Amino acid sequence: MIENFYEHEPYDMDMASKDKLITEELLELTRFHREHCTEYRRFLDASGFDENKVETASDIPFFPVRLFKNIDLLSIPRENVFKTMTSSGTTGQRVSKIFVDRETAMIQQKVMLRILSDHWGKKRLPMLVIDSAETVRNRQMFTARGAAIMGLQIAARDIVYALNEDMTLNVRAVNDFLQKYSGRRFIMFGFTFIVWQHFYKAFEPAGTIKCTSDNEETVLNIKDYDLSDAFLMTGGGWKRLVSESISQDDFKTRMRDVFGIGHFIDHYAMVEQTGCIYAECEYGHLHASNYSDVFIRDPLDFSLKAPGEKGIIQTVSVLPHSYPGHSLLTEDEGMILGADDCPCGRKGKYIRIIGRLKSAELRGCSDTYADKMKL
Amino acid sequence: MSEQNEVLAKIKFLVGDRGIIAECGRIPVLPAFSVEAVAFLSDLSRELLSIKGIRSHRDVLSYAYWIRKASIERERQKTTDIDTRVGRGVAFHIAPSNVPVNFAVSMTSSLLAGNITVIRVSNKEFEEVDIICNAINKLLEKPEHEVIKKYICIIRYDHSDQVTEYLSSVCDLRIIWGGDATIKEIRRFPIPSRAVEMCFADRYSMAVIDAKKYLRKSKEIAEETARKFYTDTYYSDQNACSSPRILIWVTGDIAAEDLDVCRETFWGALQKEADERYDMKPVQAIDKLSNFTELAMKSDKPVTINKRNNKLFVIDINEADSDIFNYKTGGGFFFQYAVKNLDEIIPFLEKQCQTVAVFGIEKSEVVGLVRQSGVRGVDRVVDIGDTMGLEFVWDGYRMVENMSRVIYVYDKSK
Repeated sequence: MIENFYEHEPYDMDMASKDKLITEELLELTRFHREHCTEYRRFLDASGFDENKVETASDIPFFPVRLFKNIDLLSIPRENVFKTMTSSGTTGQRVSKIFVDRETAMIQQKVMLRILSDHWGKKRLPMLVIDSAETVRNRQMFTARGAAIMGLQIAARDIVYALNEDMTLNVRAVNDFLQKYSGRRFIMFGFTFIVWQHFYKAFEPAGTIKCTSDNEETVLNIKDYDLSDAFLMTGGGWKRLVSESISQDDFKTRMRDVFGIGHFIDHYAMVEQTGCIYAECEYGHLHASNYSDVFIRDPLDFSLKAPGEKGIIQTVSVLPHSYPGHSLLTEDEGMILGADDCPCGRKGKYIRIIGRLKSAELRGCSDTYADKMKL
Repeated sequence: MSEQNEVLAKIKFLVGDRGIIAECGRIPVLPAFSVEAVAFLSDLSRELLSIKGIRSHRDVLSYAYWIRKASIERERQKTTDIDTRVGRGVAFHIAPSNVPVNFAVSMTSSLLAGNITVIRVSNKEFEEVDIICNAINKLLEKPEHEVIKKYICIIRYDHSDQVTEYLSSVCDLRIIWGGDATIKEIRRFPIPSRAVEMCFADRYSMAVIDAKKYLRKSKEIAEETARKFYTDTYYSDQNACSSPRILIWVTGDIAAEDLDVCRETFWGALQKEADERYDMKPVQAIDKLSNFTELAMKSDKPVTINKRNNKLFVIDINEADSDIFNYKTGGGFFFQYAVKNLDEIIPFLEKQCQTVAVFGIEKSEVVGLVRQSGVRGVDRVVDIGDTMGLEFVWDGYRMVENMSRVIYVYDKSK
């Protein structure tokens, strides 16, 4: 029962007690989805699953997240679908479809709030989204970015979008927001590359930006504002910045220098397990909460890798009730850094994300690659 | 004229030049197996074989052997109407993106047929493509190959409908290698009314083993067969059309335990080979698990998975159904099925079925089955281990014959 988890603070269980609770819950979900989702039952049967052999959470069968792109997977009658969350990892690919009922939506929201409040306090905070409102509004091209923003909205209030539709800075909106919340605690949220490209670079190097509209000139000098209690929350990975030779540390340093931002929270999340985010602590570690866990799998045989060894990331989450997404193999590479011993005091595993696995350049005359062949 | 120049400006030439394309319609065709083409190809064979370290590029090596003078001469003798056979004109080839030497294979038949050969190779860089093009360029500089120079253009171009459209509009023969999507894409551009087209689309292939004969063989031969199967499959990431994707055991009256022994021997040996030799990328493990999961989830017929590690997935199916071939992934993903008699493989011999690789089964038996049942599939029957061979007959076409034309001479006295 998910209620058993609510009695806890989100990071208060050490591995031994957490594994006991989460294994029981995951097994319960496995049984539930087997009964309510034909496709999932067939998958378990074909894999030779025997629930009596489950001793620990890593014994729960997993399948690749990609399946949500190819099959509609749900464990509820279609009429109970409250919202369908979609995400297209990259443009041009098929979208993942996640079917959520009211109960699961509520659990996702509740858990997300609990996890975030452990980082910035129990109050809902004003949020400056470093993106354009169009990213969320345009359902046709609903992206991972849109999904992440939507997910966070439930944890925030007074949401302002910092960018115009053409991704230029909306100087007046930002100015108004900062005037109101300077010196106070608020959230800035965006994907790393967007923050860098469309926010940081707009201010660089002088820290000042001007704009004229309706014959009225707005001059925004960032040094006029105090962002020392602001939390810059980022997501979406670091690959594009690394390709511009900006490391995660460089990013933080520059953001601190130019904006005086006091707190940084990077995070790892996926639409298939919304709610269970892996948020960064003040020591730069991404933590698994009580509600989820991470296993690192060897690509050769899917056996478990030890802490410090890299491999394919598998994530389990006790939130997915309306669809069988409680144990999934991602396409990301990462490693476990440690468990129960982060100096921040949070229990459970903390991890590092290395990035998306490279796609294979196989030989052969397969049509799978036709889309790569430019005619 | 300006449109032509605009098109030509977009083309990058690995071999040949703009002048050839500009005047391709006026270049005379050559007779089939012309002295010039044969001499050029056999010199190319020698040239490639003389390259240091060429053995590490096994596909270039087998190509070089395939175009040796003796091999071409054998094909010449098999070709009908050789004295009245001539090229069709301009042959526009679109080579596939993922089989590096395929462009050269396509070029070979086209030159032997007597055509002005224009080949579009993929933009993906392959060392093999460079090796072969460099060798061709080196030979074309020699005075003895002056004539053939006008007959070869190997080109690249970025996404450009305009170039594809132009080359299609001037060709007499269009050859498309690639998947169904590629073919559909290129077919948007018409070819002249007299021009012909050959398409090499997505296919699947299979292996069939007589279990009783396999069981009777020594352990060495049984394992050797599995090793040959490795060459058929893993060597091309199991992604060539001719790589078997299902293994069917014809069991006859052997006992279930004996069939288990066969399976254990075969897959055990293949696993060993894959463990030692196959470099699997992490994402391939996910591809295979995804493919298996999707099949398991969608199929109302039970399937079961057998694997020791992710290099080799064996999926047992319990009912003959060619739908399984829609679940496609390379790199060591096999279906396994057992039948009592050979004719039970018929449901798998659909239009898309290309190669049947056999062990312990007469090839003529498979041909007989195709003829008798009237199925649309099966263009090729070979021994296990020979699926990757280069041949002048492909997908049911005698390549040189189909790329050329015959002048029919009516002689009353005969």
